[in-house]
Amino acid sequence: MTDKPFQMNKWILLALVVLCWALAASLTAGYYYYQYNDLSSKVKETIITANLGINYGNGSAIHWVNETKINAGSTLLDLTKLTASVNYTESLSGASVNAIDTIPNSDGKYWLWWSHSSYGWTFGQVASDKYVIGQNETVVWYREAYTANPQPPS
Amino acid sequence: MKTIKIAIIVTFCALSIGTDYALVGIPNVKLMDLIVFIGGFLFGSVLGSSIGIASWLIYGSINPYGSDPRIWVATMLAETLYGITGGLLGKALQSTSLSSQRLRLSILFATMGFLPTVLYDLITNTVYASVFGTPVIVAILLGAPFAVLHEGANFLIFGALSVPTIAALRKVVKR
Repeated sequence: MTDKPFQMNKWILLALVVLCWALAASLTAGYYYYQYNDLSSKVKETIITANLGINYGNGSAIHWVNETKINAGSTLLDLTKLTASVNYTESLSGASVNAIDTIPNSDGKYWLWWSHSSYGWTFGQVASDKYVIGQNETVVWYREAYTANPQPPS
Repeated sequence: MKTIKIAIIVTFCALSIGTDYALVGIPNVKLMDLIVFIGGFLFGSVLGSSIGIASWLIYGSINPYGSDPRIWVATMLAETLYGITGGLLGKALQSTSLSSQRLRLSILFATMGFLPTVLYDLITNTVYASVFGTPVIVAILLGAPFAVLHEGANFLIFGALSVPTIAALRKVVKR
């Protein structure tokens, strides 16, 4: 028996390692997906309250609708529809708000949203129908110029 | 069969069962899979699988967590995956030196510990689901943390211990 050296293409080895990682990651993701759905269905009937402000970007004061009762798991769009008239377009990336209370995106100003927490204001990075509202959360719609550095509502 | 081979196989079974009881407090982290794999690598798939079945015969019947006969049979049969994988890899690397390219060999063995474990966990979770009337997909997803722990542990154990153990035992078996 001759002892020849081990020869295996490093890319095949790498592919095997990536396959292992992908299987473990998929199983983990599946577990959390199941847990998320399970928890969502359990709290679906729970009522929470949230505060919504609307800054129309025309110099008027923020219009507040506080302590609105809404089902846990509801999105910002759901909350907005409860308190104002919303015109939006749905797409793959989520709902894009065109107008709130008949005030449209215009003059270079767009409807953006901000969430308030103990850290201050946080810019809304996702579509309003993708953001789940938390208990006692405060969110503001702010019609403002969309720049690289949008300013929080004041 | 040489006496030394019989002695090694019996020792493998004893080691496998002994380490299982020693590690009973750490669910899904066991040396049994590696021992069965090495048995298959050195002595072929049939003997490797036999070590797995014999080990589960004892560990499954005297198990501190209890056991259902159907799950017991499933784990016993699923354990043969390591013996079969070891046997096939042993045949492929029969005339290959384990002293060179150790890192690449260790990575190969690590993946060969991981992939059969995925199949093992799928089989045992499916049988578990049928025994307890749980939907299969739910059993697989709820068992995922334990499965990933099992698979990850085997990746590390096979990667770290296979090459040195096989290299040492080859010298003994060749005598």
